[in-house]
Amino acid sequence: MMRLRTLFLLPAWAFTLLLFLGPMLIIVVYSLQTKGVYGGVVEPWTLENYTRLLDPLYGVILLRSFVMAGASTIGCIVLAFPLALYIARSGTRKTLLLNLVMLPFWTSFLVRTYAWMFLLRDTGLLNSALLALGIISEPLPLLYNDWAVIVGLVYGYLPFAVLPLYSNLERLDKSLLEAAADLGAKPWETMLHVVLPLTAPGMRAAGVLVFIPCLGAYLTPDLLGGGKSMMIGNLVQNQFTTARDWPFGSALSLALMAIVMLLLWALLRRDGEEML
Amino acid sequence: MRRRALVFSLAGLSCAPALPRLNVFNWSDYVAPETVPGFEKEFGVRVRYSIYESNEEMLARVFSGNSGWDVVFPTHYIVPPMREQGLLVPLDHSKLPNLKNLDPAFARPTLTSHAAPYMWNATGILFHKKMQPPPTSWADLWNPRVAGKITMLDDPAEVLAAALRKLGHSLNSGDPDQLRAAQREAMRQKPLLRAYLNSEVRDQVVAGDVLAAQLWSTTAQQAIDAAPDLDFVYPSEGFPVNLDCAVILRESPRQELAHQWINYLLRPEVSARVADSMRTATANAAAKPLLAPKTRENPTLYPTPEVMARAEWFETMTPAAQRLRDRLWTEIKSG
Repeated sequence: MMRLRTLFLLPAWAFTLLLFLGPMLIIVVYSLQTKGVYGGVVEPWTLENYTRLLDPLYGVILLRSFVMAGASTIGCIVLAFPLALYIARSGTRKTLLLNLVMLPFWTSFLVRTYAWMFLLRDTGLLNSALLALGIISEPLPLLYNDWAVIVGLVYGYLPFAVLPLYSNLERLDKSLLEAAADLGAKPWETMLHVVLPLTAPGMRAAGVLVFIPCLGAYLTPDLLGGGKSMMIGNLVQNQFTTARDWPFGSALSLALMAIVMLLLWALLRRDGEEML
Repeated sequence: MRRRALVFSLAGLSCAPALPRLNVFNWSDYVAPETVPGFEKEFGVRVRYSIYESNEEMLARVFSGNSGWDVVFPTHYIVPPMREQGLLVPLDHSKLPNLKNLDPAFARPTLTSHAAPYMWNATGILFHKKMQPPPTSWADLWNPRVAGKITMLDDPAEVLAAALRKLGHSLNSGDPDQLRAAQREAMRQKPLLRAYLNSEVRDQVVAGDVLAAQLWSTTAQQAIDAAPDLDFVYPSEGFPVNLDCAVILRESPRQELAHQWINYLLRPEVSARVADSMRTATANAAAKPLLAPKTRENPTLYPTPEVMARAEWFETMTPAAQRLRDRLWTEIKSG
């Protein structure tokens, strides 16, 4: 039996080692070398790429990314909670509703982000409608600012918040709610003192699932932010493209990874196995 | 869905005829619809043709030395570093008799040893005619009256070029003081900008969302063709010129075929068809008489000699200047 199990696990292990650890190792090696004049990496080996990370300029960009990702995560959870609650209490329509939540994944993220550009631009759907209704007389500058980026991120990662919250709310013991009601709790009190504390693990899971991709986002800030604000993902991307500084780009992405791992570790330690 | 696509592509592999295959990686909108099929038919080969949107994107792919591409199209200032990195083979001029068709202004011997000039463009300002008075200089893109209605290219070399020329410096400047002054200009301009956008700004100028955009002449011309309310100007302070060239990668096992492809592109009639249908500017002098008059006499695609006197070619940066520029750009973007 043991041998059979090893045999079946072999592909997964090979996959992980070859396609995950392999590239990671390359990034680590790159991060310790020197930038080639037009991309690539050359000798000598150096730690300079890591000392450069201490430059306040990059700290500012990292901080910005945290704020943007944090705001997007809060937005996602606030929107996802009622939705997840609604789905969890929808009886036979649950599967249909869950599939609808997943529906956007059938289209490429890039295409969906472009769709947002068409919604938000001056001659876009939203501005045209507001103009036609006479609510505004000049188009609002909806596109190319931080709000547009946050809207795009919230939209993009909302399903990642709905799903863990749903599975948490779904498993919620109904008798606890009944008990609360029997003991005289008003619906809002039940929500505040029973439902919310019991769904805290779901919220943390949702937060992690949304925050991490938002922190590394580069497409949304680029397209909806109009390249005017830089998040850490854009900085990494720039190193590999315009700046042609692969070693520094590698060091940056490893630093980002380390920060994310630390955050995860801190959260997991708190939640134990509850979150998994 | 994905599994079905995989099955189809496997089926395609197994029944494909064993024709020699040339791999061409080019800018988007850079061949006429019949350019590739014409070559395939005449030479009995297949061409795998794919497109990119920036030199960096192309460089990142071919840098490994086993990208699988045979011919790529770097801009002229990318050719020397690619050559120094050993990515290119010298062109065998005996296999490229059509090189003689090139405009001498573009056929610099230092370039043509490894690269065949193909199409060129310059950077200027695409604007909507409802912008009054119409812009004539880079300085007009710093005018607060059009705040929120201007875009610059999302490209450090281009943004710094405009700022440097505005200040009266060479756009290739590597001087730290001049570059810092240019950066200050760019940061002063940033609040006035709607965004930093490349070709995607086209639709927004057509729609009137953007009144003036720093843009490449060929991209601008495509917008002007679509909307007569638009026009293009080469700024009075001077402007950069870019020449895209065909090069053969050293990794290519199909050197002979690659030369045949380049020589084919250098034919006057092939080059003229590309320039006419894609509305680009050819570096091929022999192709010019074959162009439709509306292309040949177009002031955006083929500016007059007086305008061209203000042009300055982008040059390859020294590593130190490049690094300073990268840092200044990060500061501009994060500021």
